[in-house]
Amino acid sequence: MRRLGILLVILFGSSFILFNLAAISGDPLEGLRTSSEPSAKQQIITLTRELHLNVPPPARYFIWLRGILGLFVGKIDFGNARNGQAVSGLVQHAIPVTIRLVTMATVVAIVLGITIGIVTALRQYSRFDYAMTFVSFLLYSLPVFWVAVLLKQFLAIRFNTFLANPTVPLGWIIAYSSLSGIFWAGVISGNRKRVFQLFGIVAVGTGVLLEILSATKWFADPGLGPVVLFAAGVGAAFGVTQVSVGLNNKPALKASLTMAVLGLITYYPTQFAFKHSPHLTTILGLLAITLALGAGVGRFFAKVDQGPIIRTAMLTGFVISLITLLDKLMQTWAPYMATDAINGRPVPTIGQANSLLDQSDFWMSTLDTLMHLVLPTIALTLISFAGYVRFTRGTLLEVLNADYIRTARAKGLTERTVIMRHAFRNTLIPLTTIIVVDFAGIIGGAIITESVFGWVGMGTLFRQAISSFDLNLLMAVFFITASLSVLANLLADLLYSALDPRIRVGAGK
Amino acid sequence: MKLRSSKRALVAAVAVAGLATTGLLSPVHAATRSTVVVHETNAFTSLNTGTPDTNLTTNTDITYLTGAGFNYYDDKKALIANTTFGSYKVTKNKSNDFQTTWTVAPGRVWSDGTPITADDLMLGIVLNSSKYSIKAGLGDPNDEKNPPAFNSISYGGTFDNHVIGLPVMSADHQSVTLKFDAPLPNWDLYGPGVSPVHTIVALANGKTSLLSAADAKAAKAAFTKAVTSYDTATLKKYAKVWNEAYNITKIDSSTNPNILVGNGGFLVTSAVTDQSVTLKPNPKYNSGPKLSGGIDTVVFRFIADGTAASQALSNGEIDLYQGQATADAVAQLKAMKGVTTVGGTSSCYEHIDLRTAAVQGSKDVYSGVFAASSAAGKDLRTAFLLAYPREEIVTKIVQPVNSNAVVPNSTFVMPNQSNYGYISGANGSSFYTAGTQAQRTAKALAIVKKYYPTASSSNPVVPVKLEVPSPNARRAAEAALVVPALAKAGFKVDAAATTGWSGKLDNTEWDAEFYAWCPSAVLQTGTNDNFLASGGNNHMGWNFPALDSALRKLESVKSDAVVDQYTAAAEHIVNDNALTLAIFQHPAVTSYNSTLKNVKPAPLSPTLVWNYWEWTY
Repeated sequence: MRRLGILLVILFGSSFILFNLAAISGDPLEGLRTSSEPSAKQQIITLTRELHLNVPPPARYFIWLRGILGLFVGKIDFGNARNGQAVSGLVQHAIPVTIRLVTMATVVAIVLGITIGIVTALRQYSRFDYAMTFVSFLLYSLPVFWVAVLLKQFLAIRFNTFLANPTVPLGWIIAYSSLSGIFWAGVISGNRKRVFQLFGIVAVGTGVLLEILSATKWFADPGLGPVVLFAAGVGAAFGVTQVSVGLNNKPALKASLTMAVLGLITYYPTQFAFKHSPHLTTILGLLAITLALGAGVGRFFAKVDQGPIIRTAMLTGFVISLITLLDKLMQTWAPYMATDAINGRPVPTIGQANSLLDQSDFWMSTLDTLMHLVLPTIALTLISFAGYVRFTRGTLLEVLNADYIRTARAKGLTERTVIMRHAFRNTLIPLTTIIVVDFAGIIGGAIITESVFGWVGMGTLFRQAISSFDLNLLMAVFFITASLSVLANLLADLLYSALDPRIRVGAGK
Repeated sequence: MKLRSSKRALVAAVAVAGLATTGLLSPVHAATRSTVVVHETNAFTSLNTGTPDTNLTTNTDITYLTGAGFNYYDDKKALIANTTFGSYKVTKNKSNDFQTTWTVAPGRVWSDGTPITADDLMLGIVLNSSKYSIKAGLGDPNDEKNPPAFNSISYGGTFDNHVIGLPVMSADHQSVTLKFDAPLPNWDLYGPGVSPVHTIVALANGKTSLLSAADAKAAKAAFTKAVTSYDTATLKKYAKVWNEAYNITKIDSSTNPNILVGNGGFLVTSAVTDQSVTLKPNPKYNSGPKLSGGIDTVVFRFIADGTAASQALSNGEIDLYQGQATADAVAQLKAMKGVTTVGGTSSCYEHIDLRTAAVQGSKDVYSGVFAASSAAGKDLRTAFLLAYPREEIVTKIVQPVNSNAVVPNSTFVMPNQSNYGYISGANGSSFYTAGTQAQRTAKALAIVKKYYPTASSSNPVVPVKLEVPSPNARRAAEAALVVPALAKAGFKVDAAATTGWSGKLDNTEWDAEFYAWCPSAVLQTGTNDNFLASGGNNHMGWNFPALDSALRKLESVKSDAVVDQYTAAAEHIVNDNALTLAIFQHPAVTSYNSTLKNVKPAPLSPTLVWNYWEWTY
């Protein structure tokens, strides 16, 4: 209760200060005062009346506050923006846009950042570690607007042009193959011979694959088909089992592989469902069925210790579902490209959706939405994942040096168990705090990214408000962002104590 | 190293993925395009552009496509009469009784099929006349406490100052006659305005579908009756509709069709908030030039960021782009494949002004080098303007953006206007263009030496304080050219970068100022406000009775030839007194999908879309 009180004081105190600072920093009528348009005088009168510009800022704050306090009677009023539109309406439009843009990027950045962070920590001081450190700092220091311009140039404009004749030149194939060879050899690592072997295998594999994709013009009409889907499913089964319980756990491996087989068996029924009932509910329903199946299969194979096995089977099922979904979207690709609205150039550089596209087709509009998300997500991920990489790496290294890890190893636990169960979980505790606060930051929007990609979210509103001295708009964005970050901090504290029994809220009074 | 096997499995899986994939597809063939995607910087906010809040470029461009009127500006800034829609003429021309009659050609229809009649010309008086607003009890536009019911931007202009009474409708309901208390120069700009009044009535009555023909006719009559009988209560209902009903950012099949009725070549069919507005041809369109027929969809796409917009153009997401007039941006646009970039001009022109006194009514005193009160003032002003490096500025700063840019030799008319040739020849500007810049600078130095014998090209002594608008990269570059060029003529220019410059134009601290005017219409009295001693835009204290009387002559209604003579005569006085010179027209850059034909950017609103009916692939 006391904490809530303090939070309210912080919130309203800072809003009062910001309101007054913003109000005295500029004259919203400046443009009109020097205008030679005959209607300028008329506009000054109107705006003065609408925005209470004749009231001195400290007093005007309370006019604004009266609208905000309507919050408690369910009638919050943020006032009107300069162009006469209600601020609450603008914000209502902006919040979903921002959430859509930033959530995806944040999730990807977190997953990718943590994964790479773990790998770099485990391969501390290896060439891979140094390379990733270099890359993550490089990306971290790049300005997002510049990254965005490059992404648009290469992944949208050039890629779209490439799609008109999707054959990869030999030079590029060699470059890509070597690069992926270096990457995987670095990740998996080992002695010198092993590294060269790995490099060779991966590079040749990638090269052959790319050549095949290029020769079949796969990029113009991609798809996986049941065979590849099954292969990928088997791969997923092995991968998930390894990370989750270890390949030594035969029941778990069997359960996962069964899920892959089930994925293959249900391929055609699933396609049928996708085609004849194209709705989000279908997807969610199928996903639920998959998870239920996973639970059942896990139970069937498990003799003792059912929990982890069921979890593994369900996770495998989830991954296979995602691959199936990806396959469906790939099938939609060619018809999507052929539509008049897309005109053979599927990667967009701006906006949230193609307004010319017939949005009534579920798969088309889903693909369209995703395509519009691709570039902004990559841009945001690239510049923000470095933080997670460094944080995870640092924390994990610290944890790995802890006494209980030594104890765990001394007990003779496998390396996998030590890392995944003992080290990684403890690494998550401090990570939770920054993740929660980052999610609150989502609402604040990505000011530059939004404007570069033509998304009108909270960041754009904020920029607009500042450039046109639009006090009501500025305060609304500030108030919402500030409230959420204050709440997120509170939530982070509570979570922290929930996750770590050593800490209690209100302790040390 | 347990990880290894699973990674290997993954790599293998991916490889198999490739091997297993078959299926060839012939390359995608692009059909003939029939969509034009137009870039706009700001988002669409309203279908009514008449209120202070909604009078924005995007809104006016879109409504230009959905509504046709009596005339429009072309790319030469000429006002073209839309004779398909109707005609207009002066029916009485006396010094205290001036009348104009506006006739809608028979058979013109709104997109819902309702005929366009004189009733549709009756809203203008309500939106433009303060006297009407007050008389009808709708509020006083000039009183903060009593705002007008119709939140119109148009009160207080020339029309408002001179209009008398109500428009008179003809017996056949096809024309209205407007009465004014004095002849109106450029009277053809002050028409009655065309609005589908039956839809306003329908909206006010809460109708959510289009009216039947009979109901529409009755609604029109009801509207006219409310206007002519000054029916306060009914008009307030209409005002609420006019102020609010059209402010919409999302349009789809559930939108009230009454707000979408228009008489332009295209009609809005859908709009996505903050993203785009889509228009389709109006099947009943007969109010303007015939459509080319090659375009079946026009989309306005909103992108605030200039780089993003130019990349979108390069990626084929937009077809028509106007914006960022910087040399780098133009070079980038010109390098794009399949994109045509043309340099053009906006309506703004940069000019250098010299102070002669403090502004009228100010208590300040100006006693600088250019003061009209000193004997040397006029000569020094002449020398300053002679030495001003206009050509160098155009070559180095403007031509990289617009290779066709030239130095304008008039501030009254600009080079792309038809009467420019005559006026620039007769306005005495040749004095400032004769010879090379080196010769003019030498001439200027000779004049300066009469008053400052020690002055030389290496010893600038005449102190001139120049206001440089800031922050503005182009103007900083201009100032950097101006200072050394004028030093050669003996002027020691203190170029002071000034933020908030527009509020400080009247300051007597400045001997010279350069900035831009951006006229939104071509008016014969358009520059009067800049030069009259009492003019609101006269920031340099110019006060020349001969000039004032020459300018006053422009306030009468005369033939174009006579107006041109008067204009040249007035500007001759300006040039004789060395008050101001135009430097360049602001460049505008337009880029478009090379397969799109008939794109003709124009300087005046609605800049890019003025000839939308000619567009075709």
